[in-house]
Amino acid sequence: MQKLILMGALLLLGACARLDHVQIGDIDQSKGNLSPISVKVSETGVEMAVIAGAAAELATHSKRNQQLQEIRDFLALINMGPRTGNPVFFDTYAENVLDALYQQCKTGKITGIRNIREAKTYGPVSGEIVRIDADCIL
Amino acid sequence: MTRLFITLAAILTLSGCMSLNSVSLTQIPSDKGQLVSASAHDWLFLGFTTQNNFVDEAINNLKQECPNGKLTGVLTKHQTTAYVLVFKREVIASGYCKKA
Repeated sequence: MQKLILMGALLLLGACARLDHVQIGDIDQSKGNLSPISVKVSETGVEMAVIAGAAAELATHSKRNQQLQEIRDFLALINMGPRTGNPVFFDTYAENVLDALYQQCKTGKITGIRNIREAKTYGPVSGEIVRIDADCIL
Repeated sequence: MTRLFITLAAILTLSGCMSLNSVSLTQIPSDKGQLVSASAHDWLFLGFTTQNNFVDEAINNLKQECPNGKLTGVLTKHQTTAYVLVFKREVIASGYCKKA
């Protein structure tokens, strides 16, 4: 029970921000006043190996503990390799950001596009965020 | 005491390891104007933070370097410097400002 409370506290208190990538585009401040616009999409990322490892720690039976450790090792192996953030279940979540950006700019003149890849992490679970900030020329 | 101080200073100085997280560059026209740059950073203890607001600060600083002008050839660097238990995250942006 103590382990469960400790893990819960760690998950809640461990909410962290992560910054992976920043890209700033050309900024045209000569064509008129600028109004900031922003689109943010997020997908849940899960580090399954960490969850399996934590479950193995909590398991009381030694056989179950061993099985969970094997699952943890298997998950760690299949997720091995270069990556940005935790694995997500859908890779299409950031496809409509351009349309969403244009919907916020009636004039259709967008400048100063900033692409920010970041995340909010809660232990093994994270919100894998793609944020596009820009300025709409009024 | 002196030896301890020197050791600590050496650890702090030599352990500053830098990593380049991302780099990007936009198109550079032939009439590019004057080079301007801006940056912003924040400090993290043990890597914990709840926000990435310093990125917006870097962009605002860059905009202020070229009021009423057009910024092109924008080079953006996102880098992290690790000291002992402390991390410095930094966004450095530069570009060519062509005044209207």
